[in-house]
Amino acid sequence: MNDFFALLPLFSIAAFGLLLLVVEAFAKERLDWEILTGSIFGVALFAAIGALFAPVDASGVSESITRYLSVDRGAFLSDALIALGGLITALAAGPYFKEHGLERVEAYFLLLFSALGGMVFARAEDLVTLFIGLEMMSLGVYALVALRRTSARAVEGAVKYFLLGSFGGAILLFGSALLYGSAGTTSLVGIREALDASDVVESLFVLGTVMLLGGLAIKVAAAPFHTWAPDAYQGAMIPVTGFMSAVVKTAAFAALVRVLAVLYVGTSLMEPSTGLPLLLGGLALLSMLVGNLGALRQENIKRLLAYSGVAHAGYLLLGVAAIFANPEANAAAVYYYLFTYAAGSALVIASLISFGSRGREAVDVGDLAGLGRRHPWLAFPMAVGMFSMLGFPPTGGFFGKLLVFRGAAEAGGIFAFLALAAILLSVVSAFYYLRVVVSLYYREPEEGQLEAIPMGSDASLSLAIGLGTLLVILLGIYPAPLVELASLAARGLLG
Amino acid sequence: MSASFSLLFSFAAVLALASGLGTIAARRPLRAAMFLLVHLGSLALLYLTLSAQFLAAIQVLVYAGAILVLFVFVIMMIGPGYDRPTSFRALFPKTLSTVLILSLALSMAAILGRVDLPMSELPEGFGGVKAIGLALYRVATVPFELIAMVLTVAVLGVLGIARKKTAIELSREAAPQGGEE
Amino acid sequence: MDIEISSYIVLGALLFGIGAIGFLVRRNFLIQLMSVELMLNSVNLLLVGFNRAHASSHDGQVFTFVVIAIAAAEAALGLALAIAYYRFKNSAETDLGDLLRH
Repeated sequence: MNDFFALLPLFSIAAFGLLLLVVEAFAKERLDWEILTGSIFGVALFAAIGALFAPVDASGVSESITRYLSVDRGAFLSDALIALGGLITALAAGPYFKEHGLERVEAYFLLLFSALGGMVFARAEDLVTLFIGLEMMSLGVYALVALRRTSARAVEGAVKYFLLGSFGGAILLFGSALLYGSAGTTSLVGIREALDASDVVESLFVLGTVMLLGGLAIKVAAAPFHTWAPDAYQGAMIPVTGFMSAVVKTAAFAALVRVLAVLYVGTSLMEPSTGLPLLLGGLALLSMLVGNLGALRQENIKRLLAYSGVAHAGYLLLGVAAIFANPEANAAAVYYYLFTYAAGSALVIASLISFGSRGREAVDVGDLAGLGRRHPWLAFPMAVGMFSMLGFPPTGGFFGKLLVFRGAAEAGGIFAFLALAAILLSVVSAFYYLRVVVSLYYREPEEGQLEAIPMGSDASLSLAIGLGTLLVILLGIYPAPLVELASLAARGLLG
Repeated sequence: MSASFSLLFSFAAVLALASGLGTIAARRPLRAAMFLLVHLGSLALLYLTLSAQFLAAIQVLVYAGAILVLFVFVIMMIGPGYDRPTSFRALFPKTLSTVLILSLALSMAAILGRVDLPMSELPEGFGGVKAIGLALYRVATVPFELIAMVLTVAVLGVLGIARKKTAIELSREAAPQGGEE
Repeated sequence: MDIEISSYIVLGALLFGIGAIGFLVRRNFLIQLMSVELMLNSVNLLLVGFNRAHASSHDGQVFTFVVIAIAAAEAALGLALAIAYYRFKNSAETDLGDLLRH
């Protein structure tokens, strides 16, 4: 494998994206932006999947790349994950922008380049690229949230997101600086080597670790660092909300898994009772509680998704915490979960887009009343998405939760207790997910309430919804191939 | 390490602390920006004492020269503006967070103060333009290229937030009301 | 009196604390932005200081270079947001925003 193939998913987004930027400058009429952007994501997705099946061998890649960006199956799997989330959101974004008269060409480029940032973030093998990827991704998303600048709500959400995001970035950076100081190199592998040789300054290392993980916790919106999420999710346009959960959150988790795998797995810091797993487990429990209880009283589906995103961050952190017990299986479980989460939330968002029409979005639970009867074809994917977020068989979410919770239960001790809490809280989550489904199928609009009028059919939106539904169901009834890929990726990651 | 060096350090450190406090305590953003300018300058001095000549220059050029000018520009654009005096209700959480962060920072400083890292022998030309240039272009090529992408994202983002109406929005407004669909 | 790296690190930690306090206590968006700049600068000081201790490579100074470039990008975006925010509120105070609170 040479330099070109090692970075092909990233190259294809960067090169085609920049090319499209030039084309845009000369375009006289509206191009089919959603199709063009979607195809770029599609190319990246194919490149990543192709690389997953090819023999991955980093030996032919020049050192100036492998020093900064990892080249292994875990890297390609995270590329595929991000490209998939980007693909569905980009396809759904175009129809939304057109329908509501919000078309801004910048949006597509910001989607492309912040997904690129996510890929860099998830692949980072060095503290420098970790920070660059984080900022590339975040800056794009802040701008995406603020893009609807005629809406006070959007700008306000963006301001809150920006402030907390840059605060989190600064904390992560401070932790990185301490880690660098402890070992004298910014390379994660180098720091790990120094750690194994007991050649690190212990106090700097521990303090740096805590702050680095704290910064990442802000990014994945784990409680108690989640306060920005509901406002930012609600303020953003619907496709951007989808991007934030399908791409930003998953990229941040992929990066977290990589940092843990490279720096800590197998060291004394990963001892279950004393070190990081306990810290992560605590964050997981808090996030599950705050997310699920917070979601119970939300009427707005975007806010509901924000809180449910906090809850999912909790489940995922539980899986991440359990990595100490059985690194390969549990990292693979987290990867699988990320795929089901990305597909599920992208599907929910695409369906939500299809429910709204010109100038009127249907974003409250009550708005959906009666849609199941009037538009069964549109309501069904939404219901599938909700069942997947809930983790109900036979959807992908079920297997994601099964794998992660089983891994945590097998880790034993406190983690078995946490897995039990996660199951109980998942039952609680049924209340708010099923409330949406009930509203779709068993409610009629109340007297005087406006009915949601779905937008006219649109090829690329149908494609997005179809793709999402197919994936969610496929991951639920035929999980073996992705489980296989995920464990290969985990092996490469830990290799 | 000569005495003049430690004098320079003490001077710059005190200046950095004082101007940092000034930045966060100033009522008016413009005054805060001026304190920030002093702060950035004192950090450039500190970089010099750490033999990072190139970064000291960059600090003055980019931070003081570009970023701060941007700040001042925006402050002038949206008017000076005062903070309202803190309401009684907000006083408690503010004091609490100040005390909390302060104690965290102090205890962190106490831990870090005990770290024993000796100054190492400097290779020839350490921190100079040539050495940094080589490090950037020979070793850190990938991050360097990626910075270009980050700047692209920032430009696109600023464009998206600040740009006036798009051609599509204008043409839609020009079209007679209800003319579409 | 000899200066050691630890003096720089302690100074960096204190400056980071000052920035964090400013960020949490002030409610003026522009000053919060400047507080973030203070935090980023304190990290730069740490990085340059640590590089003085590990002088065999320029990792720390290269990282500082990266941080300065990204801080510029972040400040530009933040200021654009400040202008957009000001259009609605005629003020840069972030706690006036309660539209999103339920």
